Amino acid sequence: MSLQKERSSVLQTTRKINELIMGHFSRAWDVKTQSKPIAWITVFTPVELLYALDVYPISPEHFGAMCSARGLVLDYLEQAEMGGYSENLCSYSRCGLGYTISGMNGLMPPPDILITFRNSCDVYVKWWQSLHAHLGTPLFLGEAPYVLTGADLGNYVLDYVVKQLEQLIKVIEEKFGLKFDMEKLVQTVKLSDKSSDLWLETLKLRRSKPCPLGGRDSASDIFPLVVMQGTDESVKFYEALFKEVKEKVDKKEGVIENERFRLLFDGIWLWHALDLIKYFEDKGAVFVYEPYSEAWAYRLDASKPLESIARKILAMGLNLDIDLRIESFLDSIKEFQVDAAVLFSNRSCKSWSAPQLVTADILSKEFNIPYLLFEADMADPRQYSEAQIKNRIDAFLEVLGEA
Amino acid sequence: MTIPSDISDVCENPAAILSQYRDSGVKVIGYTCSYVPEELIISGSLQPYRISNIGADVSALTPSFVCPFASTVLENILRLEDFFSGFVVAHTCDPMWRLYDILKKRISKPLFLLRVPHNTDNELSLDFFKAELTRFKEFLEKNFEANINETTLSNSVELCNENRNLLKRIYMLNSGGKYRINAFDRFQLVLASMWMPKQKCNEQMNALSFNNGETDGKLRLHVNGTAIYDLNLIKAMEESGGFVASDDLCTGSRYFWNNVERSQESISALASRYLIRTPCPSHGPLEKRLEYIDFMVREFKARGVITFAERFCDPILYDSVHIKSMLAKSGVPTVVIDYENSAQEIGRIKTRVEAFIESLGG
Repeated sequence: MSLQKERSSVLQTTRKINELIMGHFSRAWDVKTQSKPIAWITVFTPVELLYALDVYPISPEHFGAMCSARGLVLDYLEQAEMGGYSENLCSYSRCGLGYTISGMNGLMPPPDILITFRNSCDVYVKWWQSLHAHLGTPLFLGEAPYVLTGADLGNYVLDYVVKQLEQLIKVIEEKFGLKFDMEKLVQTVKLSDKSSDLWLETLKLRRSKPCPLGGRDSASDIFPLVVMQGTDESVKFYEALFKEVKEKVDKKEGVIENERFRLLFDGIWLWHALDLIKYFEDKGAVFVYEPYSEAWAYRLDASKPLESIARKILAMGLNLDIDLRIESFLDSIKEFQVDAAVLFSNRSCKSWSAPQLVTADILSKEFNIPYLLFEADMADPRQYSEAQIKNRIDAFLEVLGEA
Repeated sequence: MTIPSDISDVCENPAAILSQYRDSGVKVIGYTCSYVPEELIISGSLQPYRISNIGADVSALTPSFVCPFASTVLENILRLEDFFSGFVVAHTCDPMWRLYDILKKRISKPLFLLRVPHNTDNELSLDFFKAELTRFKEFLEKNFEANINETTLSNSVELCNENRNLLKRIYMLNSGGKYRINAFDRFQLVLASMWMPKQKCNEQMNALSFNNGETDGKLRLHVNGTAIYDLNLIKAMEESGGFVASDDLCTGSRYFWNNVERSQESISALASRYLIRTPCPSHGPLEKRLEYIDFMVREFKARGVITFAERFCDPILYDSVHIKSMLAKSGVPTVVIDYENSAQEIGRIKTRVEAFIESLGG
């Protein structure tokens, strides 16, 4: 194994993400000043619908990830724990609850409505109930049942979610005196679809060898698809990103010069330890596919806006039956020419981690894909043992190199 | 009052009855939680059996930070699979939902996931849940040649209502500060109802007589949590000078508190009962759950509330903050006692219960 570090880089477009994020939060306070409604949402909630209704969405999950990445999370975690929330609970939720308990004097303006659709996890239900209990702010608790087969995206399950969206529209109209405009929704759906299309096309470019876009890019580049779907800014960002990545492919430029291993990353990123991605890259290993990055994009049909959005809420990765998830996993392994998988057993995300050992077993025994599984927390740096994990990465890559 | 040996035996060793079912050719459907309508299973001439965490260790298939209760239930299903004809898992919390995923890849028996909406106070959820129960009925008919119709369903609803009425009547004997049946025996009756044939269980409960006892100085407690199958926990509280006057456990009052109303066709009636019942910690609305706890504490004159929290049980860990806050307003002290394996940690649990009771002057 080479001892020399590989040169690796982050895309120019990725470097602009910080400006977008800060712009998003600063606009939120402008909106608050204008007395327009702010919604605190869980991700995979219908952002397109909210923009069309002139309700400004903010995601405490995204806030938690950002606080963790910038070393600002501990105060909020401790505030929540002092307020009685166990350190065994989801760290995003502890961060959001800590922020709430401590007076909400930061990037997120206080909410006028709390909206969630249970899809990727059941923590959403308890977290949003807790926020509602602390703040007394109106709560809309939606349900997107687990998708057992493709048929659920067209039967009574879909119908149930569409009707809840109609209910949400009515709630917002009544609470804030706003008027729903279908034409406006069609426009936001078109913009959202365009962003998704561009992101998916960009991700496909990672099939190239060498891979032009690495984990450090994909970890950041998803942001506009989290809370800015349906905006012009989001489309512009993904147009620029696609263009830059395409140019790299044409010039055969990779994230690293000497690409030795192409890896799949399964899980949410460790926001407080994103340098781990570079640690892999320094050793010639590049992340070429992550279900997490792909999950944010979903093609929408502007001729059926509500139905399309309902499908998107239902079909987000973790809410798909395990067989559908494994099938998509295996297709991607072939398409992206993956050599091995890195599975992050995330203490905060039980919904993701609980069946991971079974998935790993299938990867290994039935499809001969080697994997590394390690345990830590996505946002709580206290649950992370850097030396131990790096040791395991070293050993894993060494074994891969010998294979 | 003496608990009949059928009931105490099944509580002592819940798996033993499975051999009897197998020997007598009864098809048994294992289920995981009280959101699953036993009526549908019974109406198909099948025997419902609640899978507990008794008799197994945590499964090696789940990470250490996933609820040990769910993991142990998983292990029991894998260990006892041969005794069952099929399984139904209810989507309540993340670990239970993912338990379905794991089972799907690990067992060969028919498996059903009952999707229980978390927003139970939405009429759309009720319509959805009716559709889910119809799908469940079709699953039972298709896989086990069950003949489920309005008549069989009506009969099973009557049987289960009778069971719930009996359990509630016995439970209410301790209301208003009375002490006519100890908590250990009372919990045995509930658990046996989930494991024994309902008819037999009802007959035995009908034959019970109760004392007119006083609390003999024991401190009245309310117990909050998810499911407690290990009745040594209850015994530990009674041995520490406490008396579990009331509870809001899935293996306690939440199992039988609400009846099925007979005024509508059976699937609709079942959907209403099972969705709009006293909510489980994983479901909502939180306010309804808090109201229920507040009611129980007042009705059964509890002087303190103990929350038993399986470590990593998200719903309980979130709720405990709000329960404490609500009860503090009415001056009722609370304590959260967490554990991973109640059998192994019984000494520590007992010490904490004793300290709590002592702090209340008990």
